[in-house]
Amino acid sequence: MKKMRNNIYFTLLVVLAMTTISCEKDTPQYLPYEGYTYSELNTNGGDWVPVLQDSGSSIDVPVPSSTNSQDYLNELEDVKEAMADITSDQKKAIRYWTNNPAIRWNEIALELIAKYNLIPGPNADGSYTLPNPANPEGPPAFPFAHPPYACRALAYMSVAQFDGLISAWHYKYEYNRPAPFQQDEDIDYAYEENQIPSYPSDGAVIARASKNILTAMFPLEEEYLQQVEEEHLESLLLSGGNVMSDITAGLEIGNAVSETALTRASNDGMKNAQTPKAVSDSIKQAAYERFGWAWDNLEIPERPVGLTPFFSKVNMWSIDDVESVRPIAPPQLDSQEFLNDVELLKDYARNMTDEKRRIANFWQDGLGTYTPPGHWNRIANEIIVEEKLNPLQTTRTLAYMNMAIMDSGISCWDAKYYYHYPRPIQLIEGFETIAGTPNFPSYTSGHSVFSAAASEVLSYIFPEKAPTLRAWAEEAAVSRVYGGIHWSFDATVGTDQGREVAQYTIDRAKADGADQ
Amino acid sequence: MTIKKLLYPPHLFHIRKVGRIMSLLGMLALLYPMEPLKAQTPSDALMMPSKNICVLFSYDMGTFDRYWEGSYLRSNETIATVDRNMVLPMAAIGILDNLNFYVSLPYISTESSEPNGGKFTGARGFQDIGFALKYRSIRTELGPGRISFLGTAGFSTPFTNYLSDYRPYSIGSGAPEFSLRAIGQYELNSQLYFRASAAHLWRGYTEAERDYYYNNGSYYTAWMDVPNAWTYEAILGKWLFNTSLKLELSYSSLTSTSGDDIRAYNAAQPTNKVEVDRLGFSAQYYFKSIKGLGVVAYHNRVVNGRNTPKMSNTGFGLTYQFNVIKKQTDEENAQ
Repeated sequence: MKKMRNNIYFTLLVVLAMTTISCEKDTPQYLPYEGYTYSELNTNGGDWVPVLQDSGSSIDVPVPSSTNSQDYLNELEDVKEAMADITSDQKKAIRYWTNNPAIRWNEIALELIAKYNLIPGPNADGSYTLPNPANPEGPPAFPFAHPPYACRALAYMSVAQFDGLISAWHYKYEYNRPAPFQQDEDIDYAYEENQIPSYPSDGAVIARASKNILTAMFPLEEEYLQQVEEEHLESLLLSGGNVMSDITAGLEIGNAVSETALTRASNDGMKNAQTPKAVSDSIKQAAYERFGWAWDNLEIPERPVGLTPFFSKVNMWSIDDVESVRPIAPPQLDSQEFLNDVELLKDYARNMTDEKRRIANFWQDGLGTYTPPGHWNRIANEIIVEEKLNPLQTTRTLAYMNMAIMDSGISCWDAKYYYHYPRPIQLIEGFETIAGTPNFPSYTSGHSVFSAAASEVLSYIFPEKAPTLRAWAEEAAVSRVYGGIHWSFDATVGTDQGREVAQYTIDRAKADGADQ
Repeated sequence: MTIKKLLYPPHLFHIRKVGRIMSLLGMLALLYPMEPLKAQTPSDALMMPSKNICVLFSYDMGTFDRYWEGSYLRSNETIATVDRNMVLPMAAIGILDNLNFYVSLPYISTESSEPNGGKFTGARGFQDIGFALKYRSIRTELGPGRISFLGTAGFSTPFTNYLSDYRPYSIGSGAPEFSLRAIGQYELNSQLYFRASAAHLWRGYTEAERDYYYNNGSYYTAWMDVPNAWTYEAILGKWLFNTSLKLELSYSSLTSTSGDDIRAYNAAQPTNKVEVDRLGFSAQYYFKSIKGLGVVAYHNRVVNGRNTPKMSNTGFGLTYQFNVIKKQTDEENAQ
């Protein structure tokens, strides 16, 4: 009897302990929002200046059938029939895609970046095999979605989306065909109602442009992206927001803008960015002769070529000559400024605080993650939803931000390989870090430049948030110094560099008609 | 969705009556640097009598130069050979003759050998404080020996804010863990015995210092779900020299019930699905000349695994057991 009482007591104790421990946590896999009323409609958006197209009318779409034609009435019936048989999975898809699906496609891009941001390891003989677009399965799989690759993929996708939506807006307000839910009171719109005409479907433009760009950038994901696009297009119809001809016209625009963007991408110089070893060696030699120093890769086995030495030669979006924005030279290795920095880094490493460690890790965005450009896209997505931007404003924000990020990255890589400045672990004997030292020269810091450029464009779009955004960019910059992998001047000069480079894109944005 | 756990190495206090002396034996739990495996643990069938306390102090040296990335055994000069050293103070308290309480708090340090290609700094600090209650429900003569059944409930939680998301140097998984273990032992009159135990580990979440990570998909949160796990252990042991020396051979395993694989040439993370198969040997000696004092030494090695280091560890410890009530009474008498 006593034993039994003990057993019961023990059981109660166990249950109590488990209840205490097993609290569920919310671990979201995408930004938790479900559509909203747009803050404005931008009815003149079709007049804005696109990035790669000549104008909103450059791409032809057919004149839509009128709303009293039999064709159109049949299309409305098709929508109603489909909506009558809607499944719970389809309802879930509608809630997921929302009425601002550019955010979702941006998140898909970030996820693919994180999936492919894996640096190839050495072979058994100590050599390294590079990802090869001609043999994407690898190993290693193509691509290695490092920050230059990531920022370029995001830029092309966002630009194609933006150009496509300018075109969509142009025809929406040229043809003014109301959405199905406005035509037929039996059709309930899944999202907040608005007066934006539905032909061509802006959602279909986003879906097709995004799918095409991402499929080119991540060829192994073709099937996955196809499935995602199909789900998205189906939800456009089932939401009551589009008939099939809206969607078809949107797809035509999506195809056209992505073709233009991918044509530019195929000739922008990226395919030559990862140079052969001989070229890499001569770049290093030139720097050594010019400055008396050169960066070494210290990995074991040593990587023969740094990451994309000729990313500096990729075509910029808003600047003609990358050398025109090249920063001043970093300190000489015997200068007091340099020696002071050595002491600073040693001090940070010796006296690491919880706060510095947190900052170093929060902004690290290293291998296996969405990279710093991805981090800033995530920040932009959150603000866009908070500010209830419409799809056109959303893609405008993301396009200019990603153009500026890519331009700043190109400029940063120009400085990195022109100056070829060594990393702290190379110049400080016995130095150890809490962050991984990347496979490219130190000066200037990519995180600093990317973050400064992104925060400047976002500060232009959201001026009331500028102080916060700029402070985040500075924190991202100094995080690399706390991590032990950058000199403080890599970060400070890089921040200035990013801000300067972004200004060219901001000037362009100011002239596109949106601010008028 | 679940609870996470860290390895606190609890455990094993083995107590044995030797004349009036109870001995405590410590088999250390092993710590795995990459996935802090909770060790196979409080798994012995010995109980310390009421009002006795046993303390253990041990030093554990673990090392590995290869690890399983998924099922692929990789060496990686970025981290070269990783050493993980641990100092483990533990105490066992006899509440009742059939109910013992344990508390432990390991201090761990990790570092890579030189040269290495990554130049990462190691980590050090107190890991998780662990508590466990062991209850013996059955102990009876059966055939040519004696059979015992016991149950252990354990809880551990990080004692400091060490970073779990810093593999392979992190000193633990950074999450609370609750465990339930069932233990059965059969000991022949020749003092040869066989023991088996099974435990389930409920592990909570660990908080990273970044709010995005990839775990077969994006996660927009700093919380990482550390997978629950099952552990099993089988021990063959023998007492020698008038119950003063105990030798044990052990096999133990741990299997996470969920989780992702380490990606190619990428760092491990707390969400990984860990599997470990380990063999071990331990010896413990109780001095006849000094009442209550014992020494323990052991060696373990991981022979197979998934998303875990191929770790070998060796440890030494001292145990000392005393009767609290008796000591207090003696002191009072002395005054």
